[in-house]
Amino acid sequence: MSEQIVATSKVAGTWAWFLQRLSAILLVIFLGIHLYAAHFMGVSAETGDEPLLSYEEVSLRLDQVLYIVVDYGMLSMVLLHGLNGLRTVMLDFDMFVRRRKLVDVGLWVVGIATMIWGIVILWPFITG
Amino acid sequence: MKVSSFKWLFGRNSEFWPTNMKTGMWAWVGHRLTGLVLVAYVFLHLAFISTASIGEGGSSFDALMETTSKPLFVAMDFLLVIVVIYHAMNGFRVVLFDLGVGIRRQKLVFLAAMAVSAVLIVGGLLAIWHLVFPNGGA
Repeated sequence: MSEQIVATSKVAGTWAWFLQRLSAILLVIFLGIHLYAAHFMGVSAETGDEPLLSYEEVSLRLDQVLYIVVDYGMLSMVLLHGLNGLRTVMLDFDMFVRRRKLVDVGLWVVGIATMIWGIVILWPFITG
Repeated sequence: MKVSSFKWLFGRNSEFWPTNMKTGMWAWVGHRLTGLVLVAYVFLHLAFISTASIGEGGSSFDALMETTSKPLFVAMDFLLVIVVIYHAMNGFRVVLFDLGVGIRRQKLVFLAAMAVSAVLIVGGLLAIWHLVFPNGGA
């Protein structure tokens, strides 16, 4: 098994390792902003009322570039971290050893397709 | 991974058999399991939000917010909170070890990460309690 662990760290790649750490740190920050914006921003300090987030409110927020950057930035980091995480699990368990290039290409396709999906999802809010 | 290697991987003599696992292995297994849950959640999350732009004037989005603010959904969100906090705190531990910090006291570092997780999870529970039990738990 120890030989396999050495082999795994070799095939994982330095860039994948570095970006996994970088995206991890960014995700903690993004998640904090995301949770605050989605659940705490609208809370009234005086009455303690917690209004539900409305389509109108989200649409208003997404008129500002900062919100768009945070949302799309977070999604891109989520996909990078999540899909590379899946890749790591596959490497750990020696899955698809002979198809690693194909797995990488497949994950990139899923990631880019999901990013486009995410952009499309927010589009009505941005333009509306 | 072949089906025939399943026993080798998860059987009584494997490193994944609970009594054979030590601190670092538990942390590693937990990180993989929570990671897989989170990837599944992200796609579920996107699928839910993608229904938001259907309907006039965002009516479907507002209906979605109405549904997902119900106690049952908030309670499920709390499970997500536990998973995220474990993954983040254990991830912090992994980064520390990458930087060469605390490796010699790895058990203590894991326990510390779990202690911080516990505090954050209790904090999260306190924050959402009134949403899960609107009548004060009665």
